[in-house]
Amino acid sequence: MDEQRVDGYATAMFEVARVEGSLDEVEDELFRFARTLEGNEDLRSVLTDDAVPAERRRAVVADLLGDRASPVTANLVSLVVGAGRARDLPAIIDRLVQRAAAEHDKVVAEVRSAVALDEDQRERLAEALGRATGKSVEVKVVVDPSVLGGLVARVGDTVIDGTVRTRLDQLRETIR
Amino acid sequence: MRTRRLAAALALALAVLLGSPGVALAAEEAPNPILPQPPELIWGAISFAVLFFLLWKFAFPPMNKALTDRSEKIRSSLDEAATVREEAQTILADYQRQLADAKGEAGRIIEEARETADSLKRDLTARAEAEAEEQRERNAQQIAAERDRVMSELQSQVAGMAIELAEKVVEGSLDREANLRLIENYINSVGGNGSTPSDSEARSGS
Repeated sequence: MDEQRVDGYATAMFEVARVEGSLDEVEDELFRFARTLEGNEDLRSVLTDDAVPAERRRAVVADLLGDRASPVTANLVSLVVGAGRARDLPAIIDRLVQRAAAEHDKVVAEVRSAVALDEDQRERLAEALGRATGKSVEVKVVVDPSVLGGLVARVGDTVIDGTVRTRLDQLRETIR
Repeated sequence: MRTRRLAAALALALAVLLGSPGVALAAEEAPNPILPQPPELIWGAISFAVLFFLLWKFAFPPMNKALTDRSEKIRSSLDEAATVREEAQTILADYQRQLADAKGEAGRIIEEARETADSLKRDLTARAEAEAEEQRERNAQQIAAERDRVMSELQSQVAGMAIELAEKVVEGSLDREANLRLIENYINSVGGNGSTPSDSEARSGS
């Protein structure tokens, strides 16, 4: 999918979420869904398989998000999946998140953590990353047990890695 | 031809002797039978002279020529025999020289062959020793490389096992409280607010 189409889908979904008055919530739910889709190969293969009927793919999305996300989020995902663009859904959602952050003159920091962060930790982390990058930062947290412990934040092209997983990998390379 | 001339001369001499008057005079007197009569001597002398003349004229030249030819033939044969003997001696000398040359050549060839064989033997021996040495070096290098590879592999496996063990230990000891402390350390370190930065933090830009 070309950039123009990704941008078009992202803009449309952004406008729908804003009109529905639940931009922050929808944006957050979409972001988590995108990370889940990236990390789950089975889910990705089902939603991106053109041989699976669109109704069946929509049903999978409804089962997955029906009681875990807002109806707006579920409908937007179902729309993209039903259109056969599930393969580009993470890129579309990332563009949407960047657009929402830019709306508030912010940049998105994708943070991975082994445990969920509370609101206070999010705010202090956003503030710390803002001081480190010199930008106003909006934190998006992905719970990823594979990091074992600590955090890794990606702000644009900058990665600030403080995970136990990275430390162990560095140790492995050092020993070798 | 020569025989016919000789026969003619003898016939003439015989005719002269038979027609001699001395034969008739002998019957009339009784002279000394031992002493010949003068006419008889004259006729005898004439006959002898005629006979000698005839012989000298007709018989002697062919006989001389035959003797001369015979002598020439014998001399020629002797010369030819001497020539042949000389040629034979020359051929024999050539043969003996060639034989000697052949023997010398054969000796030289044998000597060359021996030297070539010795040289070849030395070369082959040197080459075999060099190849053996090279093979030993290759074997030593292969053994060293294999040892290094095994050591590296062993080290890698030990490192992997150590890391896996460390991961299990870390996973077991990283409870929520420890995780929250790591997160706090991270926030404080990234924010640069003076807190002790965690060792596990790293910055990189791509």
